[in-house]
Amino acid sequence: MTKLQAKNIVKHFDHNGTAVLALDGLNLDVQEGDFVCIVGPSGCGKTTFLHIAAGLEKPDSGEILLNGKSLSTPGPDRTMVFQEGALFPWLKVIDNVEFGLKMAGIPKDERRQISQRYLDMMQLTKFADSYTYQLSTGMKQRVAIARAFAMDPEILLMDEPFAALDSQTRDLLLVELQLIWERTKKTIIFVTHNISESVVLGNRVVVFTNRPSKIKKEIVIDYRRPRLAEDENLQKYYHQIVEALKNEVIAQIKDDVQ
Amino acid sequence: MSEKIISEKKSQNLHDAANASLLVAIFVGVWQLVFMLGIFPKISLPSPIMVAESFAKLISNMSLPIGIGVTLERLVAGFSISIILGTLVGLAMLRFKGFGRTLNSFSAGLLAFPSVAWVPFSILFIGFNDLGIIFVVVMSSVFSVMMSTYSSVRNIPPIYLDAAKNMGAKGLALFRYVTLPAATPSLIIGLRGGWSFAWHAIIAAEILMSIVGLGHILSVGRDFLDMSEVIASMITIFAIGLVVDKFLLQKLEEKVRRKWGLDHHR
Repeated sequence: MTKLQAKNIVKHFDHNGTAVLALDGLNLDVQEGDFVCIVGPSGCGKTTFLHIAAGLEKPDSGEILLNGKSLSTPGPDRTMVFQEGALFPWLKVIDNVEFGLKMAGIPKDERRQISQRYLDMMQLTKFADSYTYQLSTGMKQRVAIARAFAMDPEILLMDEPFAALDSQTRDLLLVELQLIWERTKKTIIFVTHNISESVVLGNRVVVFTNRPSKIKKEIVIDYRRPRLAEDENLQKYYHQIVEALKNEVIAQIKDDVQ
Repeated sequence: MSEKIISEKKSQNLHDAANASLLVAIFVGVWQLVFMLGIFPKISLPSPIMVAESFAKLISNMSLPIGIGVTLERLVAGFSISIILGTLVGLAMLRFKGFGRTLNSFSAGLLAFPSVAWVPFSILFIGFNDLGIIFVVVMSSVFSVMMSTYSSVRNIPPIYLDAAKNMGAKGLALFRYVTLPAATPSLIIGLRGGWSFAWHAIIAAEILMSIVGLGHILSVGRDFLDMSEVIASMITIFAIGLVVDKFLLQKLEEKVRRKWGLDHHR
């Protein structure tokens, strides 16, 4: 069953007074329970697409359908995990994880139960009463992931959530994210510029072209989980994506120089 | 670990207090020396001891305690009105964007407007009374509170609001649980600024339009050519300003900054 459908999304953004075409009639279907990674050259409109899917930005034309219904406002059914800095510093870790549940009007006892469960899953139990400044960047992203899953959304939208992490922490979280995904069977769209990350995580890897973005190529990765970044068998997928991206990155650099 | 940090902080505080006492001692010493050299006539520059005697007199005849009481009462009344009014107008500026932008373009003039320049207006508009003084305090501090409310909310990192909306927060809940706490550290800084404007204003207003209060004691000292009394009131004004800021507002700011993690940049 199709969970999320992007139909003909067109979006310009304003760059010093001139309209730059970021997305040019983008179409994407995401099936229920799928784990889709989007890779593309930097500035290609991956994040813009995610923001549109989340309802934080409006497309110039085209529409986003969730379970076949058109959407335009942000909502807790499509939870974002941001790159960094989206946790609330005035709340304890557990209250951060509960925030969405509180907004949904879920009673306190039930909230505690749910948040406790996801804190356990992300190995954060001991840090429930800490404030976010007391955590490392990696711990903060665990909290952000727990917070997103705790809301039990229809779909999770992850915007380079591991970009700011050191490689050991990232490798660990890549495994943990696969485990929590297998347990919860959530639909995930994961945006990244890191090819190896996309190969480890995605059932499908969607390669975006340089601006204006369209889909250049889709690669299906049918391979056992949990996958590890250093797995040799993932190499061939990695190279397919590198090949697809090569010309796009060159085009993007040319754009930047001009 | 944390105990060590706390004990280090305590010894730092002790150290600061010792330095402050030393500075005061040097200042009084130099003052006494200049007095003894007789450069200025006694009536222009009394000795520290003469000022201390003035203090004793002002306290024993109750004019200083009463003056402080009256001044603080007016100040609290005026500044409270400023906080309520300034916050409401600041929020209205945020809600009605055109109104906000327009008022914002006048903000420099409003903030820089000298409080004492409100005095003649207030005397003619309200009268030579308590209410007139409170009016000057309000007019001098309300714009600071208003602009601080406006800019504090506008400077909230957009990612907090994006994340909150994404998690289903909207309307009043968004304001109460995200906008307000996110703006709090900056709001408190604005409050400190507003307090300082209010404190300037009340003394100016009391010198010119009161028959009681700290500013009035200053002007009585002037009228009777009593420099010791003038200096004694000045020291009182200095001390109150220092105590309120350092032990109330600054403490509050530090507490919020610590909890918000703003003092933990890595």
